[in-house]
Amino acid sequence: MESYSREFKIQKNDIGNAGTVASLTKRELKRRGLTRDFVKTVTIGIYEAEINVVIHSYGGYCVVKINDDIVDVIFQDIGPGIECIDSALTPGFSTASHYAIENGFGAGMGLPNIQSVSDEMKLTSSKEGTRLHMKFNIDGDCYES
Amino acid sequence: MKVKDILSSNTFELITDKSGLNNKIIGIFASDLLSHVMGNASESNILITVLSNINVLGVASLLDLSCVIFSHNIKVNDEIVNKANELNIPLLKTKLPTVETILILSKMGI
Repeated sequence: MESYSREFKIQKNDIGNAGTVASLTKRELKRRGLTRDFVKTVTIGIYEAEINVVIHSYGGYCVVKINDDIVDVIFQDIGPGIECIDSALTPGFSTASHYAIENGFGAGMGLPNIQSVSDEMKLTSSKEGTRLHMKFNIDGDCYES
Repeated sequence: MKVKDILSSNTFELITDKSGLNNKIIGIFASDLLSHVMGNASESNILITVLSNINVLGVASLLDLSCVIFSHNIKVNDEIVNKANELNIPLLKTKLPTVETILILSKMGI
């Protein structure tokens, strides 16, 4: 099937639109005939990453690329960066604001969820920004029979 | 079991229009933290929560949940109800606390 590539802009604290990248990617994955389980896996990873950019960063963007072998997703924001990546990867650790918590986020499960659903996750961060690269491999079992 | 089947008990008040009432129900998930819902709930689950905000609908839609039940008589604003109607997600309300809601649904055979 033809490859898919789409870029999304993500605004700081735009909680009302959080989930747009996940929702549109879900639609594309379903269109391509991928299984519900695979679609759910990718959707969870993207949603969590999207929420992270909305509630923790100054804003950023996301690039989703899909071909027959892989779903490749990059989230890049413009800061303020993650102080300690090891802590951020610990389930339950959270630096979320009251605003985020009031909206149901800030459980400290975002990055651990992403780590558990993706086949590969690379996270780099500095004060200038955080970059999260995740990959989901597509094999024969990922397609509806 | 479908969403319309649990409405017959009078325990639950439907606050959205009649769309999605034929959604199939398989199991219950209760949480007020969206990452827990996102990471652990399954398709066609009922979500029981006291978290009344728009992001609940995002998660319900992404996971294809059957419906959302707001427990403890939580206030749900019109923005959420309108958005749920748009997304065809049934929203139900109950005065019962979350645990009692689960027990009643369990007695119904869910």
